[in-house]
Amino acid sequence: MASKDLKRSTKKRKQVEDEPEEEDLSRAVALEMPSDEEADEPAFSDDGEVDEFPEIDAASDSDTPDEEGEGDQEDEEETDAESDQEEGEQSGSDNEIHPFPIAKTIISDITKQPKRVYPEIEAEYDSDSSTEDDPNRVGNVPLHWYDDMPHIGYDMNGKKIFRPAQGDELDKFLDTVEDPKSWMSAFDKSLQMDKPLTAEELDIIRRLQANENPDADYDPYEPTVEWFTGPDKEEKMPLSAAPEPKRRWVPSKWEKKKVMKIVRAIRQGRIVPSKPKSTQPQYYSIWNEPTDSQHPAPLPAPKPALPTNAESYNPPEEYLPTEEERKEWESQDKEDRERNFLPHKYGALRLVPAYDQFIQERFGRQLDLYLAPRVQRAKLNIDPESLIPKLPSPNSLKPFPSYRALSFVHGKGRARCLGVSPDGAWVVSGDEGGVVSLWEVTVGREVKRWTFGGKIGSLDWCPRTDVSFFVIGVEDHLHFVIPPNLPSGVLTATQSLLAPAALPPAPATPSPVKWVSSSSSASLDEPILTLQLPTLSGLPGQITWHRRGDYLASVSNREGQGSVWIHQMSRRHSQAPFKKVKGSIQMVLFHPSRPDFFVATQRYVRMYNLAEQKLLKTLMPGIKWISSMDIHPSGDHLIVGGYDRKLCWFDLELSDKPYKNLRYHTKAIRSLHFHPTYPLFASSSDDGTIQVFHARVYNDLMTDPLIVPLKILRGHDIKDGLGVLQVRWCRGQPWLASAGADGKVAVWCS
Amino acid sequence: MGRLRQKGKAGAAKAYVTRSQAIKKLQCSLADFRRLCILKGIFPRDPKNKKRANKGSSAPTTFYYAKDIAYIAHEPVLKKLREHKAFAKKLSRALGRGEWSSAKSLEENKPVYRLDHIIKERYPTFIDAVRDIDDALCIIFLFASLPSNARVPPALIENCARLAAEWQLYIMHSRSLRKVFFSIKGVYYQADVMDQIVTWLVPYQFTQNIPSDVDIRVMLTFLELYQTLLGFVFFKLYTDAGLVYPPPLDEKKDEGAAGVGAFSLQEVQKSAPGPLVKNLDVNGRTVSSREVRQTIKSIAASVAVPAGVDASTPTVDSVPEDVNEEFIPHPSRTDEQEATDLPTLHTLSTLPRPISADLFAPYTFWISRETSRGIFEFLIRSFGGRIGWPASSGSGSPFDEDDDSITHVIIDRPLVERPGETSEQRERRLRRKYVQPQWVADCINAGKILLEEPYAQGKPLPPHLSPFADHAEAYNPVAQATVEDVDMAEVDNDQESEDDELQGSDDDIPKQKPPTSQIVLEDAEDPAALRAAELAAEAAGVDYGTFEKDVSRLQKKATKKTMARADERDTEESMNKMLMSNKQRKLYEKMKYGEKKRASEVRDMGNFVLTLMVINVCLPA
Repeated sequence: MASKDLKRSTKKRKQVEDEPEEEDLSRAVALEMPSDEEADEPAFSDDGEVDEFPEIDAASDSDTPDEEGEGDQEDEEETDAESDQEEGEQSGSDNEIHPFPIAKTIISDITKQPKRVYPEIEAEYDSDSSTEDDPNRVGNVPLHWYDDMPHIGYDMNGKKIFRPAQGDELDKFLDTVEDPKSWMSAFDKSLQMDKPLTAEELDIIRRLQANENPDADYDPYEPTVEWFTGPDKEEKMPLSAAPEPKRRWVPSKWEKKKVMKIVRAIRQGRIVPSKPKSTQPQYYSIWNEPTDSQHPAPLPAPKPALPTNAESYNPPEEYLPTEEERKEWESQDKEDRERNFLPHKYGALRLVPAYDQFIQERFGRQLDLYLAPRVQRAKLNIDPESLIPKLPSPNSLKPFPSYRALSFVHGKGRARCLGVSPDGAWVVSGDEGGVVSLWEVTVGREVKRWTFGGKIGSLDWCPRTDVSFFVIGVEDHLHFVIPPNLPSGVLTATQSLLAPAALPPAPATPSPVKWVSSSSSASLDEPILTLQLPTLSGLPGQITWHRRGDYLASVSNREGQGSVWIHQMSRRHSQAPFKKVKGSIQMVLFHPSRPDFFVATQRYVRMYNLAEQKLLKTLMPGIKWISSMDIHPSGDHLIVGGYDRKLCWFDLELSDKPYKNLRYHTKAIRSLHFHPTYPLFASSSDDGTIQVFHARVYNDLMTDPLIVPLKILRGHDIKDGLGVLQVRWCRGQPWLASAGADGKVAVWCS
Repeated sequence: MGRLRQKGKAGAAKAYVTRSQAIKKLQCSLADFRRLCILKGIFPRDPKNKKRANKGSSAPTTFYYAKDIAYIAHEPVLKKLREHKAFAKKLSRALGRGEWSSAKSLEENKPVYRLDHIIKERYPTFIDAVRDIDDALCIIFLFASLPSNARVPPALIENCARLAAEWQLYIMHSRSLRKVFFSIKGVYYQADVMDQIVTWLVPYQFTQNIPSDVDIRVMLTFLELYQTLLGFVFFKLYTDAGLVYPPPLDEKKDEGAAGVGAFSLQEVQKSAPGPLVKNLDVNGRTVSSREVRQTIKSIAASVAVPAGVDASTPTVDSVPEDVNEEFIPHPSRTDEQEATDLPTLHTLSTLPRPISADLFAPYTFWISRETSRGIFEFLIRSFGGRIGWPASSGSGSPFDEDDDSITHVIIDRPLVERPGETSEQRERRLRRKYVQPQWVADCINAGKILLEEPYAQGKPLPPHLSPFADHAEAYNPVAQATVEDVDMAEVDNDQESEDDELQGSDDDIPKQKPPTSQIVLEDAEDPAALRAAELAAEAAGVDYGTFEKDVSRLQKKATKKTMARADERDTEESMNKMLMSNKQRKLYEKMKYGEKKRASEVRDMGNFVLTLMVINVCLPA
């Protein structure tokens, strides 16, 4: 049935192709039919078919004359002939060897459709799978792909091959010991198990070990087969009949030309066969011609140092090393030695031995010459003293405090703070025991003493002259105290200020700070007014007055927004200027002339305008932790001291960066103060010293401020690593008061 | 906005290359690169910013100037080195195949490089070359004394010995030696050649062996360069001095002296006959007249001096002395510019020669066999003396030991009794002066003939000091010695003060020693005035003790005052130091550290001398 179908289809095609040929007969003759047929059925283009072509050709040729009339008949004949031909072909082809397997068409049991079935391939030598008896059919893929799987591949039928059981190392070892054949087995990668080697494989291994040909059948000593030599085997006839080319026996013309060229050159003397080598003398006057180089000569290498007396074979006695020096020299590394030899004294020249490091030293010099980078350095030929800045002598800048006039001793604890009255006659000092003493600057006599519950954190005297009182910062409280022995006018003014008869109207927004006036206003033992800061706000570490004496700022040592308060005396009102504070505030300051306010946090000093309530600038001192600051009375210069021993001088007009950085204290700076009238400032430090500086500030903007160190005041003892905690100048005098951790409060006079 | 600049395209990144980059660019081995660097005098540089030069990496590397490397890149020697590499391959292949004839022809056409152009490049003028021959001379003299081995062929040693001898001959001839110093490392010589100070070090005559921690290849490369450099320099020096270069060598005499010393001076005939000078483009007539005069001179000299090889030397030496109107020709006369540029022999000989150049001219020396002939023959002949030596020090001595003209015997032996001495020998011994070798060096350095007495045979020698100037504030043993003398004199004068001194010896030194405190106080009080006052007091008959007390009291007061003043000044200065910038402070401290260290060195030495002196004073008591 299939063959019928095939025949039919060919017939149809024939008809379709034949029809155009009928129009042009002559062309149809020219066209060769068999070629057409061949193209149509390439599967059957066998030798047998070629032989049959002429018949078909003849038939078609014979048909051509009566083509017009017997179109159908011819068709029929042709199909018959073709079917015959095909049958014959098929029968013939069965007996022959086919490069491709021939498919049989059978009707499938399941689909009832014809399907082609190829015969089983018989594995022969040249077949692809002939040598593959490997059951694992995954092919040449890395087997670690199957590491995580339970199987190691697939067999021919697509079934999984499961991983064989694998023992541990001990099992392997036991196998090698117990199994006498284990040495003959090898690990089969595709099966993941040990397989015994066959006898042939073992033989191959043996041959390889013995450096023999692995092929067992190879015989290296085969007898020679004389194919072309020997009796009766000579070639009688030449392989080629071509005549031998001429070049085989005629000498080369071109070689001859080349040789002649050389010969001619030798004859003419252009080539001298064994000519003497150097025509140039070894040495000649090389410097007679000026150099053609435009470059300057390279710099000569530096010469080694010339020997000194120490290198003499007979040096003066003082150059000879002592025993310790000799030992030290010997113990040092070669590179660290100051000189590469030890001086030695020999009594006579004949006793001097060879220097054993001679060649090493010359070699070292050569290494220096070609391996050491050379740098041309301008030698600095200056007197070191000229580097020290020339400053006016301190003697010309008198007066300044130079000696300790008196000292007042606090019995209990460190004297942490002190304040000097605006007229400069009284000092009030407080210690950590809670004692506040009032004493005279000139004689140091204690006039009055107050005792408070906690540590005294800060003290400051109100700068107003019409009233006289001072503020003491104790735990969570600010106490306002009136000193004794005041003139009656001042006393009443002070009392009326601090405890007015008619309280000013309460502010619109109530403050958490309470102003509590003392009930017994007449007694001077009690503070006349107490400000109760919010609880847990900590010890007020600093109190600073505005220059008019109406405002007072306090800084408590607890972090957060409640640490800074500005208190107004006239309105008896306190307010926190900052809603939100970045960093812990170390200190605050009022500007002496403008409504500006300085706030020092740990790293920066910020300058605010209180009237406009905005940040003016941020100063960056570059100090790790700011401890103190003070502003020059002119208001244009600020000094900032830090716990990292640094003092920065800021010119506020100039820059945010310090104009000068000074580091002279050996320990942390604790306190700084500008003298209100004299051009002086002082700094105190934990190293127990106070440094007094002359600091002159000029009015014109062109001249830099002049800073001259004047005096180092020593006299405070260091206790628990703390030195001088606060310094204050006395107004009107070049005198300095200082409070130390040793409990002493000293006055330094000029 | 300026042009965008790509990183690594300009500045330090472009100006410097690392060593491995350089080798890659030159396509040669590291050994060849090193050789080129040595020959061309190229050395690494330290960029100011290593990170920038090394494209952001701060790994430790060696940097060269990129231009230096570009300069080597078209160096003929580099080409020759490459050729040599190919040659070595070809040769080894030929030898491996047993193709002897082709190996032979290869060997004959072996590529050889010359260093002439490198010498010219590195030293554009002759003066540049002379300035830089110190190291070359040191190495040449070292190799001249080395034994040959597989790495150091005997021909090389021989060539070095020849160059060393040529240099010594020139120095002796031109009388340009200035200073000599016997150190524990060797003998330092300093000469003044063409107005350049040349110092070189010669090891003592012992067999040295090249230690294993020394890379002999590097030394040999340097030696190669130095041999060429010295060859050209000597050629110029010799021709400028009117001598033939290379000086002809007498093989027989060389063999005769070879048993003893490294340098055989006597074989070299330095008298330059006219025909030999013909390559110096001097016109023939003048030369011939000179030659005639020289022969006359040499005949005269040979009559005066018993026949010897050195007989020719003085005659040559005398040539520059009698420069007259006829001795105008000069090898470099043809080159106008050269003649004006360089100091020629003519100009040099017209310069006033230092008096000390003929220091030993009136004397005749004999060296004993234990002294090194090489050193002393060079020294004495450089200063015009005559010298003879026993046959055990080599052949060719111009006179014998019993020659009557001998004035000095350089002897380095302890004094021994001579029982079997004939009267003639004794007389001869008394007539001559026996000195130790150090005397010669000290005379040369002092520029005059010193008293022979302290250097006599068997005596402990005075210290041998370096003639080379130390830095200004270094310890000066000579100044110290004078102080010592003064002190000794004073101690002798005042026996009483001895006890006080001894008591105070454990106090600090300025106090226990009034004389030294005088020295210390030199700036506070004028020492001359003090000396005058002392003399006046002595004249007035004041007791020296009371005078001394007065003086010390006054001085103490003065010291206190000055101390107070100094203290004040110090505190002021130390306060002013606060205002120094960090950079200045560091510089200041560095300078101060150096100053203090030098001062302490000097002080320690001085203290040592003082303690020695105290011991000396104590010992007689």
